[in-house]
Amino acid sequence: MSDLVAWDKTISDVNEGILVGLKKPHPAFYVALSISIVCMLLGAVCWGILITYGMGMAGLNNPVYWGVLITDFVFWVGIGHAGTLISAILFLFRAKWRNSINRSAEAMTVFAVITAGLFPLIHVGRVWVAAYWMLPLPNTHNIWVNFRSPLMWDVFAISTYLTVSLLFWYMGLVPDLASMRDRVKGFKRIVFNFMSFGWTGSLRQWHHYETGYGFLAALATPLVLSVHSIVSWDFAMSMQPGWHTTIFPPYFVAGAILSGCAMVYSLVLPLRWMFHLEGFIRKEHLEALIKLTLLTSTIVAYAYGVEFFVAWYSGNEYEWAIFQKRAAGPYAFYFWVMVACNCVFPLLFWSRRLRTNPTVCFIVCLLVNVGMWFERYNIIISSLVEDFLPSAWGHYEPTWIEMGITLGSFGWFFTWLLIFCRFFPLVSMSELKLIMPKPLRRKAGGH
Amino acid sequence: MSQHKKGLVASFQYLDDFCDAIKSIKGKPEFRGHEIYSPTSYHELMEHAEDTMGPSQVRWFTLVGALTGVTAGFGMCLLLDYDWPIVVGGKTAGIYSLPAYFIFGFEVMVLLGAIATITGMLFMGRLPNPRSWVLHPRITDDRFVIFVPDVMADGDEAQLLREFGAEEVYGV
Repeated sequence: MSDLVAWDKTISDVNEGILVGLKKPHPAFYVALSISIVCMLLGAVCWGILITYGMGMAGLNNPVYWGVLITDFVFWVGIGHAGTLISAILFLFRAKWRNSINRSAEAMTVFAVITAGLFPLIHVGRVWVAAYWMLPLPNTHNIWVNFRSPLMWDVFAISTYLTVSLLFWYMGLVPDLASMRDRVKGFKRIVFNFMSFGWTGSLRQWHHYETGYGFLAALATPLVLSVHSIVSWDFAMSMQPGWHTTIFPPYFVAGAILSGCAMVYSLVLPLRWMFHLEGFIRKEHLEALIKLTLLTSTIVAYAYGVEFFVAWYSGNEYEWAIFQKRAAGPYAFYFWVMVACNCVFPLLFWSRRLRTNPTVCFIVCLLVNVGMWFERYNIIISSLVEDFLPSAWGHYEPTWIEMGITLGSFGWFFTWLLIFCRFFPLVSMSELKLIMPKPLRRKAGGH
Repeated sequence: MSQHKKGLVASFQYLDDFCDAIKSIKGKPEFRGHEIYSPTSYHELMEHAEDTMGPSQVRWFTLVGALTGVTAGFGMCLLLDYDWPIVVGGKTAGIYSLPAYFIFGFEVMVLLGAIATITGMLFMGRLPNPRSWVLHPRITDDRFVIFVPDVMADGDEAQLLREFGAEEVYGV
């Protein structure tokens, strides 16, 4: 893809262009940061109310014991997946276009997984004892956690994913931190030298760095596929109609990558404008991202169809009843929003004119994110409201506390992401140079 | 890193000139101990690194970390399960629940494998090095640099590097 990019910049423009843009972001950046902080504080107040007055402040009831908080958890874990897909999987496939957006995708992953990790803590209510429920720590009951529980698998999967994503992201930053060090003096230089481990760019360092980066990518690739599979097992390992299906792991992974790609686009487009990065994150790179979004959208649409088909073909009347009610029952609105946003609107991307139009792509990507949130809401709520016995049937509506926490999670995510973008390069400078024209004296020659 | 060593620094603007230069000085006794610096990991340079240094030993760190991880993952589940068996839904503890423990074996394998890989990258790259010495301010920007220890800037070595297209040659 990037071989076809008509670059109007050389590698000598990279450090200057990207780091100067950091110093003077567009005023819209500060507006976005202020809104994010306000939303984050609103969410903190709602969480404070939830802790003070108890879980009754949430709309949870019998039988709907998982609600918006778990929806948010699955949504944010899914968002985090595109970062590793773009960083690791596309790295192994040698997809060059990923070099311009991998840093923003990795940052998104780290902050999204941190955000996701908050929700199980919020959901358990008494957050101060959550560590004893979630980790194999010695305790006064002298019992250990249940290693056969999918929830415990999830604790290990998410914490491993967060740690590996952090390591991957930070190691990618090291050469760029050294570049920043070499442009400043005094105390800042000491700080950047410390953060870059004293990187010098010697061949020895690059040699081991490249090998290690490849191994990290190879380790992260099965990890990213395992994490959302394990999240799906939180549901699929139960006997609940609508959850107990073998299609969940690939279905969840595809959905996660779809939502992640859409979120990367939704973030990168305004950020490249705020930080004057149009010359480095090119329209060809954004188009490649949109093509990946379209691909995953078709996989998700196929999974929706197969899920319905299997529910009917299985002959299990409980399963089939849930699916009929999803499409035509009290929660049908959520179902059709999900189908429209995830399967129908992305079809616009088949048109080259539309998929190269940033406004259209931005709007559709936002709709995909709305659709993916509704997908998780649809899966969780519509399965729980009607159990096997009519006596166990119920209803669920989220309270304003839950929606406030949801809004707060967006505020939390964007606050950290924007702060990162203000101080660190949003484009991996050392990797971007690899896809730009090589600095050759003999242009037709080279090696 | 050649910390505060004396020697010759030659910087290049063009990658092809630089590659010609490093091929030409490879193995020459007067350039013994020379070091190469680059703003990024061009594959031409990585091939040269592979030729001169051999395959990176980071792979062994990854292997040891991953094997330790898979052992620790399975071991944790088995030991804690035998310490206080919990029978849930008729599923007995210990080795009979091994399929469930694959998750932990896999996750801890990836976790320790990744941590060991980072450790290997840093250790083999001789990092962290807080006293590192920046030979040329544009190495991390757009310049390629050769450092030759214990060589004067007005010698034959400097002249050879100039002939290959070095834009700056100076002593440090």
